[in-house]
Amino acid sequence: MGRRDNGLIVKGLRASYGNVEVLHGVSFSLSSGVGCLLGPNGAGKSTLLKCLAGVIKPSAGDASFYGFDLINSELKERARLVAYVPQEFSARFPYKVFDVVLMGRNPHVNVLIGPDGKDEEATWKALELLGIADLADRPFTKLSGGQRRLVMVARAIAQGGKLMILDEPTSFLDFKNQFLVLSVVRKIAERFKKIILLSLHDPNQAMRFCDVAFLLKGGKLIESGSVDEVLTVGTLDHLYDMRSRLVTADGIKFIIPLAAAL
Amino acid sequence: MLRVKGRALGVFPVVYASLFFISLLVGRYFFVTLHPTQIERIILLEVRLPRIVAVSLAGAALGLAGIAFQNVFRNPLAGPGILGVTSGSAFGAAFAILVAPFMVTPMAFAFGLLAVFVAYKLGEKVGGTTLSLVLSGIIVSAIFSALLGMIKYLADPYNKLPAIVYWLLGSFAGVGWSQLTTAGPMIVGIVGIFLLRWVLNVMSMGDEARALGINVDLYRKVLIVLGTLGTAAATSLAGMIAWIGLVSPHIARLLVGYDNMKAVPTTAFVGASLLLLCDDIARALTPAELPLSVVTDLVAAPVLFVILMRRGVYGTA
Repeated sequence: MGRRDNGLIVKGLRASYGNVEVLHGVSFSLSSGVGCLLGPNGAGKSTLLKCLAGVIKPSAGDASFYGFDLINSELKERARLVAYVPQEFSARFPYKVFDVVLMGRNPHVNVLIGPDGKDEEATWKALELLGIADLADRPFTKLSGGQRRLVMVARAIAQGGKLMILDEPTSFLDFKNQFLVLSVVRKIAERFKKIILLSLHDPNQAMRFCDVAFLLKGGKLIESGSVDEVLTVGTLDHLYDMRSRLVTADGIKFIIPLAAAL
Repeated sequence: MLRVKGRALGVFPVVYASLFFISLLVGRYFFVTLHPTQIERIILLEVRLPRIVAVSLAGAALGLAGIAFQNVFRNPLAGPGILGVTSGSAFGAAFAILVAPFMVTPMAFAFGLLAVFVAYKLGEKVGGTTLSLVLSGIIVSAIFSALLGMIKYLADPYNKLPAIVYWLLGSFAGVGWSQLTTAGPMIVGIVGIFLLRWVLNVMSMGDEARALGINVDLYRKVLIVLGTLGTAAATSLAGMIAWIGLVSPHIARLLVGYDNMKAVPTTAFVGASLLLLCDDIARALTPAELPLSVVTDLVAAPVLFVILMRRGVYGTA
């Protein structure tokens, strides 16, 4: 396998809602570890992730994962390779936590028969891995925001696959739960050697939990590279049109916002 | 009160079978006999049995259309008629009564399918989302209701109008084996939705189901066709049967939970049992038959209220 077939490769990806193009040809690659999309609201982060997860179809461009075509492949085949954790999970029916995680097994299930013992086993494993097996019988809709996010991550684990995509896994979460969810994601990446692509709003979280950063602005990739190189005061000020400064405490770098305009 | 654990799924076929048997016995003439006379044999096998079979199939088909649409449209208030099938059938039947009375069932069936087809095409024109489908369903229903009103206005008030009104109130009276050609589409709907019960779980996740490997657009179409076939057939056979399709899934979920692997088969038995119960009341309570939709309204609507009392409205529960 050539170097170009290594990991996630995105080339010239474009996407539109109606006549409005929101992604203007994005190209990048991620061959290992945790990659993070950063950018202002409306930069196209969610759209990009949805394209890669198969939820929406890009208008042009290519994306592949270890040589597997992510754009034109059959949905079920792709779902065995790529798991997606949406930003919001709007459950209309109060399914049990176990049932929600079990749905992650869909790409491995014969749809006319339904899941079997093997799928239930994988579901239990995923719940135990995240330490939420005791929630299995609870209605999903009655969980706290942090618990729900863990359930969705468990669903992605049960789904399997080498690539995990998470759309703002920290949104709506309290201070501690943001930290908890990102720690879990980091652990999953290391333990299962998964490639993880997620979007975040806080560059400080990206610096602590991610390896690579992709800066997206106005539907274009403006910078990418290791978090240490890319996440500097200069690039972030340009990315968000703001002023900030860097401080270091206990060996950890923090970027602190100063003013909301350059 | 009625808490049944998942293991006790076998209860529902038993409840249904008992109702089936009781339905054979009750009616204008109530009898229990081991050696039926010739007349009794005809009443049992040629009058009551085909009717009970038709009622069972219609109840199951409506209940399953309800649970399919509730999951596809992610709306617990969706019923089988959400895309206009019942309004279309009502117009088709009334139109047939006006111009070709022997064509009532096929016309009702055809116009039911036509209404959903038009609603689907309109929905695709305005975005193709589940919401746009629901809205175009409302529009098509309104148009067919208006056309139905027109027909009622034009109909001869001594002969045709009462026939139309009577048809709209719904009844299984006089359904014999020969009318059971409509069983075909109902069975297709029942079997199809039963086979796709796992897909319903994943479909209820909305567009996100694509990331789980489900071809959302394909299965939405298939499930709409299956639900519509069953509903159009039931409606064309017996007229407007309100509430069964909406309420049966709710009763089933109250009993076995939200997982469609269990809720779908349970809904089929609940729908069949509920409609049998309503039909028994319609034909046995008074010397003259009561209109079926009157009974289903009076029985099923309060049942929904009891469910909401016990379980709460979704989202707040």
